[in-house]
Amino acid sequence: MTRLSDPPVGTATAVGLSVERVDARDKLAGKAEFTVDLHPPFMLYGSVLRSPYAHAVIEGIDTSAAEATDGVVAVLTGDDLADIDPYYGHALRDRPVVAIGKVRFAGEPVAVVAAVTQSVADAALASIEVTYGTLEVAASLDAALAPDAPLVHEGAVRPGLAHGLGALPEREGNICYRYGFARGDTESVFESAPVVVEGDYLFPAVYQYSMETHTTIAHHKGDDIVVWSSCQHPFLVRQEISELFGLPLDRVEVIVPFLGGGFGSKSYTKMEPLTVAISRKAGRPVRILNRVDESMVTTRRHNMKCRMRTAAGADGELLGREVELWLDTGAYADNGPRVTATAGDAAPGPYGWKAMDVRAHCVYTNTGPSGSYRAFGSTHVQWIGESQVDEVARRVGMDRLEIRRRNLLPRGGEVRPGAKGVDADLVGDIEAVAAAIDWGAERPPNRGVGISIGLLAAGAHPVSMATVRLGPDGGVTVLVGTTELGQGSRTAMGQIAAEVLKIDSSRVRTMGTDTAYTPYDRSTGASRSTTVAGKAVEEAALSVLDALLETAEEILGVDRAELTVAGGAVEAGGQAIAYQELVQRRFGLAGGELVGHGRVQPRGKSGGFADGPVFWEICAAGAEVELDPETGIVTVLRTSSVADVGRAINPQLVESQDEGGTLQGLGNALFEEMRFDASGTLLNDTLLDYRIPSFEDLPAAMSCTIVENADGPGPFGAKGCGEGVLAGLPAAIVNALADAGVAMRELPLTPERVWNQIRKQRIDGASSKD
Amino acid sequence: MKLPPFEVHRPTSVEDASRLLTELGDDAVAMSGGTELLLAMKLGLASYGHVVDLKRVGALRSLEVSGDVLSVGGGVTHRELETSPLVRSLFPALSSMLADVANLRVRSVGTLGGNLCFADPHSDPATFLAAMGAVAVLGSGASSRRVPVEGFSVGPYETVLAPGELLTGVELRLPGPGTGVSHVRMKTHERPTVTVTSRVEVAGGVVTSARLAVGSVCSVPVVTDTASSLLGSAREDWEERVARCSAATAEAVEPVADADGAVGYKSALVEVLARRGLHRALELAAGSAGAGGVAP
Ligand SMILES: Cc1cc2nc3c(=O)[nH]c(=O)nc-3n(C[C@H](O)[C@H](O)[C@H](O)COP(=O)(O)OP(=O)(O)OC[C@H]3O[C@@H](n4cnc5c(N)ncnc54)[C@H](O)[C@@H]3O)c2cc1C
Repeated sequence: MTRLSDPPVGTATAVGLSVERVDARDKLAGKAEFTVDLHPPFMLYGSVLRSPYAHAVIEGIDTSAAEATDGVVAVLTGDDLADIDPYYGHALRDRPVVAIGKVRFAGEPVAVVAAVTQSVADAALASIEVTYGTLEVAASLDAALAPDAPLVHEGAVRPGLAHGLGALPEREGNICYRYGFARGDTESVFESAPVVVEGDYLFPAVYQYSMETHTTIAHHKGDDIVVWSSCQHPFLVRQEISELFGLPLDRVEVIVPFLGGGFGSKSYTKMEPLTVAISRKAGRPVRILNRVDESMVTTRRHNMKCRMRTAAGADGELLGREVELWLDTGAYADNGPRVTATAGDAAPGPYGWKAMDVRAHCVYTNTGPSGSYRAFGSTHVQWIGESQVDEVARRVGMDRLEIRRRNLLPRGGEVRPGAKGVDADLVGDIEAVAAAIDWGAERPPNRGVGISIGLLAAGAHPVSMATVRLGPDGGVTVLVGTTELGQGSRTAMGQIAAEVLKIDSSRVRTMGTDTAYTPYDRSTGASRSTTVAGKAVEEAALSVLDALLETAEEILGVDRAELTVAGGAVEAGGQAIAYQELVQRRFGLAGGELVGHGRVQPRGKSGGFADGPVFWEICAAGAEVELDPETGIVTVLRTSSVADVGRAINPQLVESQDEGGTLQGLGNALFEEMRFDASGTLLNDTLLDYRIPSFEDLPAAMSCTIVENADGPGPFGAKGCGEGVLAGLPAAIVNALADAGVAMRELPLTPERVWNQIRKQRIDGASSKD
Repeated sequence: MKLPPFEVHRPTSVEDASRLLTELGDDAVAMSGGTELLLAMKLGLASYGHVVDLKRVGALRSLEVSGDVLSVGGGVTHRELETSPLVRSLFPALSSMLADVANLRVRSVGTLGGNLCFADPHSDPATFLAAMGAVAVLGSGASSRRVPVEGFSVGPYETVLAPGELLTGVELRLPGPGTGVSHVRMKTHERPTVTVTSRVEVAGGVVTSARLAVGSVCSVPVVTDTASSLLGSAREDWEERVARCSAATAEAVEPVADADGAVGYKSALVEVLARRGLHRALELAAGSAGAGGVAP
């Protein structure tokens, strides 16, 4: 880890220090509570019957034998939902709580059994008889986009409750959402450009493996619902549950213990509606705990096909880019429209195009639904755009770092019409990742280096609230709706409050979310927590500080300007009063507590949040690879990344974000791929067949450069991190492999695919010499 | 995909285990480490009411050398074999082959016997032992018979084991002076995609014995007769002989296409890995000629 600038000396007490994670010891000792550790009284165990067919009409379901089984308390099917509007979905309200009359992907829940033990529930599934009438299947983008393709959904588009995508277009065949923008006259730019690079590209479906699978416990008590869930966005889940089951928001309580990773797989509403529905029928709390194969068809990353072309001048000036892409959102839209828009936003890359034209389509197919996954959109397209920049450089004979230096947008440059301009030093960032892999050094044959840079629209919708409480013994409690899913948010939030109050961060406790007590926070995703929720925590802490100073003014009889704050005390003229005393003097006897509130909203006093996106996350990475041309094996020798974070609240956490993102980036680039057959069945639905990165795959060296230009809208100039490298690294690896001689247009770079491409290039090379 | 209930039996002798399996018939299965069996049962690929756990059968857990023969009990785990000081000093190639199998967790409970008896086409030990000309000892208590490991597996997940019969052990010859053994593999998933084991002997500067097994690409490991083309060759011929032998090996082996790759790709890998493996084995043999066969 390298930090490009040292934090200001003398001021920091907590921010900028790599303090120990507040949850580390409990997690290592197995004491930290996850949803699976909770056992509300009378809890039942749910088991889900899933469709074996990807597209079929449900002609009948006979649950009588299951219902008659000893220990089974309730069996849920689509028939139990007649009294509610049973459709939900973040972007489009297209998904029934449980299949109603039809299934649209293999793995779709058709029935749920709740029983006194898990094995009774599992065994009872086998006695449910479902009669299916199979339908024609569209299991791939090509099948779904064919003129006579079977329709996955019929009927009008119903918008989700809070998608933030503006007016949604009508569905067109299986295309459920379209996004695009243009600037300049693309046609004439491409006609007159001396260099045009173009191609068709494929990106695979990927599983956002996290150690904890989706786990939910729900208790529908009639007038109240309590949900304990491994969810990233508790307040959005609350909203959908409230709407589905017709109870006011304040009667739906969502409680979030620790999460064992999420990476986007636990964004928005997943297993919660099904769990609430079976609990409603059973009248008792019910737990549904997904297995890995079930989580794989609960959500995944969109596979994509893309056609892109780039126009450039003979001097390497980047002139125009045209992009059309199709993302496979599976059977239900989930967050697909947003992913599609973000991919569109990322497609031009951070260059000063004279003309650009981006068209992105979100497509239904009969496969498991696709949603968010770390750095979505950018990971999809950055490797394509950046490989075309490299290709331009090769054709005009220019160094690949130099072409970026010349063409990258300056600070303030327009990324796309209507969006916030560039808010970072892009040239500085790309130079940092290049330097870290010894750009320009001599290399033996079959080695290659690559760099890449892109932007990710980050921050989502900037609405977050926080409460900070200072008790009479000087202890501080932070209530904030950010979900701790392993990224270290509770630690960082505590550091922010500690910094404002000038106390040791060990005196601050940050709680998990319970929507009944925790103030609203929109979501934990889009690298927003430290920036947006962290800003709310800063403001809440400032408000507590204000109350402390006010009290000190009164007691000491001096003006605020004469007060200084340090070490948990307020000082004036050599006299220091500890916070404990201030609280006790203010309230008398054993004291009350000082409570401060903070909030961030698009408009309002936190000015930086008015324009979207909240910030552009920088996706810069470098890689050096070695190719074994005889087997096609690509080995990543070393990687570099830049965490352009404005200000590192906790440098170690920043670095571990980049390390985790690096490993996931390796998986996405080199081997992760969900394979569906033409009938829509997922072929590799176990971790034996779907390989995730492990320590064996770690490159020999990973370097992370932390850039701190204090240019973020978050607390202390911070902005988010953790996603960028996942978009940047696959692109750097693709470029490094092309540098070693093999230009790939399909991910992942499996040895067989690389080997095939080597052979193809040899044959093409031989025939072009004829 | 959750493990259904079953009854566990824990015999302490081969005879008792064998009798239980015979009595309980088709509804019973033997289990050593359970790393394959329990997985298959979880995935719903197999289902049994009775599991005969062999872990307490002491006779299956022996590991000994007599003369130049190493005998490994069917119940010895990969990890025990890999880390055995005896194996490390007398047969380092066996130890390093095992070090690449699966992961530490699987190696710590998974056994050599379980690997061979499961007869998954993708297997390191099966390829290795076939190249060594190892012998599988099968028994049911009263009687026992010996079959070459090469013919032990007769198809994917199929072996020559008769009902109630157990793999009690494997016997293989230790490498003597001038012997070079190499095991090269490539994997894209958990299990190997291609495995090639070479065993060559060099005496007086020329190859006096050569054996090559190719595994994981076909339904069972194949010992090709192509390596005999190396016999009598001296170092200066190796480059060309090995190239020809590897090409001929790729010709001789007929891979099966699966999720690990298409036939053409696998054939190419067989050629590459055979070439690399043979060179490595020849170098080891040449280096150890007269040095007790202990390759580094
Ligand atoms: C994640 C993972 C990765 C792996 N990677 C590799 C790899 O890289 N290379 C490789 O070669 N293998 C690999 N394997 C396979 C591994 O080597 C086997 O799982 C292990 O050796 C099986 O041994 P076991 O004792 O657990 O078998 P069990 O599961 O106990 O038994 C397997 C089968 O053999 C039968 N059986 C067991 N013992 C006997 C006996 N003594 N007599 C008769 N029948 C018997 C059982 O009835 C059962 O049918 C991998 C497995 C896993 C799970």
